[in-house]
Amino acid sequence: MPTYKITYFNFRGRAELARLIFAAAGVPYEDLRIEMSRWPVEYKDQCPFGQLPLLEVDGKVLAQSKTIARYLAREFNLAGKDSREQALADMILDHYADIMNEMKVIWLESDAEKKATLVEKFKTETLSKHLGYLETILRQNGGGFIVGDSLTWADLMVVDSNDWLGVMFPNPYDNFPLLAGLVKRVREMPQVAEWIAKRPDTPR
Amino acid sequence: MPNYQLVYYNRRGRAELCRLIFHAAGVPFEDIRLDYTKGEWPGEWKAKAPFGQVPFLIVDGKMLAQTKAVARYLAREFNLAGKTSWDQARADMFIDEFDDISTEVYKFASEKDEAKKAEMSEKFYNETLPRHIGYLENLLKENNGGNGYLVGDSLTWAGLGIANAYDLLGGTDAPFENFPLLAGLIKRVRAHPKVAEWINARPQTPF
Repeated sequence: MPTYKITYFNFRGRAELARLIFAAAGVPYEDLRIEMSRWPVEYKDQCPFGQLPLLEVDGKVLAQSKTIARYLAREFNLAGKDSREQALADMILDHYADIMNEMKVIWLESDAEKKATLVEKFKTETLSKHLGYLETILRQNGGGFIVGDSLTWADLMVVDSNDWLGVMFPNPYDNFPLLAGLVKRVREMPQVAEWIAKRPDTPR
Repeated sequence: MPNYQLVYYNRRGRAELCRLIFHAAGVPFEDIRLDYTKGEWPGEWKAKAPFGQVPFLIVDGKMLAQTKAVARYLAREFNLAGKTSWDQARADMFIDEFDDISTEVYKFASEKDEAKKAEMSEKFYNETLPRHIGYLENLLKENNGGNGYLVGDSLTWAGLGIANAYDLLGGTDAPFENFPLLAGLIKRVRAHPKVAEWINARPQTPF
């Protein structure tokens, strides 16, 4: 088994999907969380694009959070059983990335009143549409797992999104019963539950 | 061979990487370009699209959406994704980086306030882009000196991705002036026979 290390800050943030994949797969790794003050001086130069998270596999480095998560999912047979399932999982990843990019724009709005309006508008119009598509995909797949008929990293994406969506929109899956059910079932899987219980409790 | 249909608008935009992959691989596909001014989109097509957006791919009647997911699927089907799982991850990494660059471009491209747009564009071309390209130049150099490919020892969709980014960034050598290895790579990829043939034959659109 190779030696794995994830370097990131002490947040769930852009590293948590990878951490959930390690947990679900039962694969040990070094979960290095660095202080903001030690970045960039100590770590930035090692990073291919000057950013975290960073994955090291037997000393070789990989950057970009989505790429890191996909590589791990594939190594641990959590990517999907065939090329179409793998593509569907990639599609769901990209969809969540679009949502996150749109939320970032709102997050960065400095005018508090304008921000509140944008948050409300996003929640009632945009977010429900985006999550509605995923609820449909899950329904059309029989409601059990979002891709195929067993756990993949796409299900872990849904679990992770419940947390990061939750930072701006508490209980984001309240109106999406199948997705809410999936989040609950996967969070209760032993290795995932163990990780969620023991991971550092951070605001995001 | 499956039947492929790629659905998008009549522009390079978010479909061009997929088109480049089809052409580089020599795989035929139906290059559907919808005219939204004539209502062809949404038309009957929006209901077929998994997230109600273009581009999307239809393979033997099954839909797949999201540019990068589609492009990666095609690259893997046509052996343009990278020879090992590590090479495939390295290619993915470059594609994510190009996507970060594209996201920056789309931000000011869609800005309606002309003054703000000009300011954002200037900051991008003078600060943000050179920083990104600097990282790419170093990574290319790490791959056997940088006179070959971004990943491994053969063309992958990562190479097609940077060749596509060239057009998105204005289609001139200017952004790459101080980055000779990357400039060389882009030239080599765009000169690849099947790629060059497509670049010459494709509809000429502003973006």
